[in-house]
Amino acid sequence: MIRPPRFFSVRFLFAALVFFLGFRSPGNAASGSIPQRIVSLAPSITETVFALGFGNRLVGVTNHCDYPAEAKRLPKIGDFMSPSLEAVAAKRPDLVIGVGGATDPEKAREIARLGIKITLLSVSSVTEILSSFKRIAELLGDPEAGARLVVKTTVQFDKVKTRVAPAPRRSVLVAVGLRPLVAVGGKNFLDELITLAGGENIAGNAPQPWLNLPDEYVVAKAPQVIIQAGMGSDTGGSARHWSDLKSIPAVKERRVYSYNSDKILRPGPRIDEGLEDLARLIHPECFDPANSGVFKGSLCEGSGP
Amino acid sequence: MKVLDLRKLVLVNGALLVLLILSAAACTLLGPVRLDLSQALTHLFSSNADAEILLRARLPRVLLGIAIGGGMAACGVVLQALLGNPLACPQMLGVSGGASLGGILGIIFFPNWLLPIAGGRLGEISWIPLAAFLGALLSMILVYRFSLFHGRLHPYHLLLSGVILNSFIAAVIMFLNSIVDFYQAQGLLFWLMGSLSTRAYLTVGFIWFYIVVGFLWLWSKGLSLNLITLGEDAAMHLGVEPSALQRQVFIAASLMIGAMVSVSGMIGFVGLMVPHVMRLLIGSDHRLLLPASFLAGGIFLCWADTLARILLAPAELPVGIVTAFFGGPFFLFLLYREGRRSLAL
Repeated sequence: MIRPPRFFSVRFLFAALVFFLGFRSPGNAASGSIPQRIVSLAPSITETVFALGFGNRLVGVTNHCDYPAEAKRLPKIGDFMSPSLEAVAAKRPDLVIGVGGATDPEKAREIARLGIKITLLSVSSVTEILSSFKRIAELLGDPEAGARLVVKTTVQFDKVKTRVAPAPRRSVLVAVGLRPLVAVGGKNFLDELITLAGGENIAGNAPQPWLNLPDEYVVAKAPQVIIQAGMGSDTGGSARHWSDLKSIPAVKERRVYSYNSDKILRPGPRIDEGLEDLARLIHPECFDPANSGVFKGSLCEGSGP
Repeated sequence: MKVLDLRKLVLVNGALLVLLILSAAACTLLGPVRLDLSQALTHLFSSNADAEILLRARLPRVLLGIAIGGGMAACGVVLQALLGNPLACPQMLGVSGGASLGGILGIIFFPNWLLPIAGGRLGEISWIPLAAFLGALLSMILVYRFSLFHGRLHPYHLLLSGVILNSFIAAVIMFLNSIVDFYQAQGLLFWLMGSLSTRAYLTVGFIWFYIVVGFLWLWSKGLSLNLITLGEDAAMHLGVEPSALQRQVFIAASLMIGAMVSVSGMIGFVGLMVPHVMRLLIGSDHRLLLPASFLAGGIFLCWADTLARILLAPAELPVGIVTAFFGGPFFLFLLYREGRRSLAL
């Protein structure tokens, strides 16, 4: 009854292999600084993490994070403006990502004091939004995913830009509230989106990102398009609100729209879709397939092949 | 009690009335955008931009400002007399809190509902002011019930229950504000800060009618209010039934405040400051003080709203910021001057 020594050694080697492989696998994750448990403090950040393909690493999101659908099922850590410290800590995250200017800086300091790594990203311009994609991808250990998302977004941007390039600029009012009238000012990525979509924001010279506009200013600036964003489901409310100011071209030409979408309100990975929606509202003629040929008047001349 | 000086009444109020009319005209012509008056007047009823700025964007706003400013100041005068407290103001009664809560519930649950008036022939008005007015009525009844003992309204209970109800409601509002979505929350905060922005002549007309009726009734009680400031016993001896007067004045003022807050939100400081300023300037005979405060409140709010439109143009400031910013220092100055003068005697 002599066991063949070779058999023994093979079994030993196999066991050793399994042992070391089994040991190495968790060791790899622990040794690297790539975060595996992420808490997002803003809907736009949640969307970006999902768009980069790392939604499975999110262990906590805000009450307002509702896109993509999977985000709704994730544990909630409180409000966008004021997350619950306890809820964040309870998720034992190795990375918390918030938005500079929106996340309460005091909360951010307290999270850092708990020894949790926290990064606040500024997303107040299109450039900053694009670099936030890259930054989040770098933090998650996959810079190429970030670069891909930036390319995808800029390619979409360019498509829209070429579409609306032949059309003359239209003056635009984008508002989020009616009573009072809260409009998009300058220093707001939405102001840039309006420009990219072939429009010109009537409150673009204001230093505030959002501002309360008096009615007389809207009448004097005579916007050609009025877009009501971020309101409830009542699509007729906006048109009714302006109906008595017939001197406004947007009212006269029935270009008062309700656009109920977070795509343009969230500085996240859907701004390219949002930009196209805005462009379709501002220059519908540029997206009409019938208009791809020769064109009369001041309308869009088609985007070419 | 001094006999009413008719000459002074006519002189003071006549001067203030002229000033009010001039202010209204000036405030209609001033704004963040240039108004070409000749263009506006030649195309008055067509869809001309200048005409719309004049008739739709500015005039209803100025008219509303005068009504609210005057109404707030008049209510401040009677509340300070009624409660015997110099700090009494329209924001204190609990009514304004109730109106805010009603309005906010309106914004959250039916933001775009419109109520057709006379089958839509007279236009439509928003439900939000109606919800706010309902809130004001409910809180008025609540405060009234909590302060009425043996048929008498007690100023002490009136003041405290009003203040407590207001802070309770403030907590409810903050709670609602933290559960609604982000953009709605912004809207709520803007609404709470108060604004005179309106283009609805129907609403302005309604408020004017309401406030003028309320004011005239309060003015008719001017002599009784004079007596009640002497103390309840003295008033009783001079033939005024204090308990009945207190109840009536409280209800009248509450109804007026409820209607005003429903339309314009909480615009602070006018109701507190204007009565004191006018008292320092013309004395405290309510027959004279009430109309003078009404006119002065109208002038003050009219200008405050114009500044709110101009100062940070194109952005519009909440008018409450302007009233406090310019009213506060002026009031302190008058108070100091008065103190120095009376102590030098």
